[in-house]
Amino acid sequence: MADTSNPRPMVNAGLLKKYLGRRVTTVMKVLRSDGVDLVGQAPDGTSVTVHKAPLNSSSGGAFSQFVEVVGIVEGENSLRAEICTNFGDSFDMATYNQLCQLANSDNKDCFI
Amino acid sequence: MYSGAGGGDGSMFAGGGFMPSQSQANDFGGGGGRRSGSQNSGLLPLTAKMISQAIQKPSDENFYVDGVDVNNVTLVGMVHDKEERATDVSFQLDDTTGQIEVKRWSVLLTLLAHHSPWNFTYVRVHGHLRSFQGKRNIVAFSVRPITDFNELTFHFLEVIYVHLSNIRAQGGTAAAPTHAATAGVGPHGIATIATNPSHYNQYLPPASAMVGGNVDECQKRVHMIFEEPESLLIEQGLHIDQVAQRMVGYSRQQVKEAIEFLVNEGFVYSTIDDDHYKSTNA
Repeated sequence: MADTSNPRPMVNAGLLKKYLGRRVTTVMKVLRSDGVDLVGQAPDGTSVTVHKAPLNSSSGGAFSQFVEVVGIVEGENSLRAEICTNFGDSFDMATYNQLCQLANSDNKDCFI
Repeated sequence: MYSGAGGGDGSMFAGGGFMPSQSQANDFGGGGGRRSGSQNSGLLPLTAKMISQAIQKPSDENFYVDGVDVNNVTLVGMVHDKEERATDVSFQLDDTTGQIEVKRWSVLLTLLAHHSPWNFTYVRVHGHLRSFQGKRNIVAFSVRPITDFNELTFHFLEVIYVHLSNIRAQGGTAAAPTHAATAGVGPHGIATIATNPSHYNQYLPPASAMVGGNVDECQKRVHMIFEEPESLLIEQGLHIDQVAQRMVGYSRQQVKEAIEFLVNEGFVYSTIDDDHYKSTNA
């Protein structure tokens, strides 16, 4: 079987509280980063803090405008990062936000 | 839906031998009489979760997802645990729903080194779903790095679209029992494979891939509109737009092409201008 024991569902800020303590995936628009933490805008516009955000090696040194964060949900608006991936400077957040909503509602069985 | 287009079934409109045969058109269209053993040679966008839920009949090697047999698949995800060997390159693909092993056989060592996917990069995989020692994996013929990450969003939206499209073809009610049956994938799964005599699936190879149905069906219905007694009574015939309005589910372009076909066959002719047509049966 494919191993589905440890999924990391795609979420926006509103869905974070559903996954407290669990691993999720989201894309953030970087507002500011101080080398340790990252503060960004989630797909639904809410501000989210990402703790201990390492940039994965294939991305080079700096964050691009949009960054995918895979990590554990610590609070309603915060994540502890495991992997961060640069998603470049032109990423459609509105569509991704709708995808998060679709993937977590009626079409859950394809994803989670 | 368009049950008249069933391959091999009697058609109301044989066209006097001038129309392409129904079964010919529908072998590719996937509309008529798809038997459970027949090959879907289209492409299915999937997630690892859907693959883990796919049904495999004990009698054949095919996998089935949402009632459709699985042949070519495509996934998008992050590469983990990449291993390069002399014979192949393999890695775990993590697509947010789970992880699945992807293997690509080596063609040329030099080519491979250049194009080998790196860990933690996102790739698009095209390949075939296989099972080895009880574990499902993908044998890939294409592994390409993703450069525009909107492709990720696109892939998952496409997964949802095709999933809903296939579920609805089964009559919509298959959704609940399908998943109850797949909880313990294996011999129990047979009952949920539905044959879809009248489903048009745009992910099957499109010999007549048009929005809303196949070409024959469109021509048939347009002709019938022209043959109606009311239409025959109108001296200048019907305007294309009037016909298009009645052809719900077909585009104006499709209706126009259907009319052109009927003109070539001699069933309708143009009257006061290029937009008005009338049946030759007046």
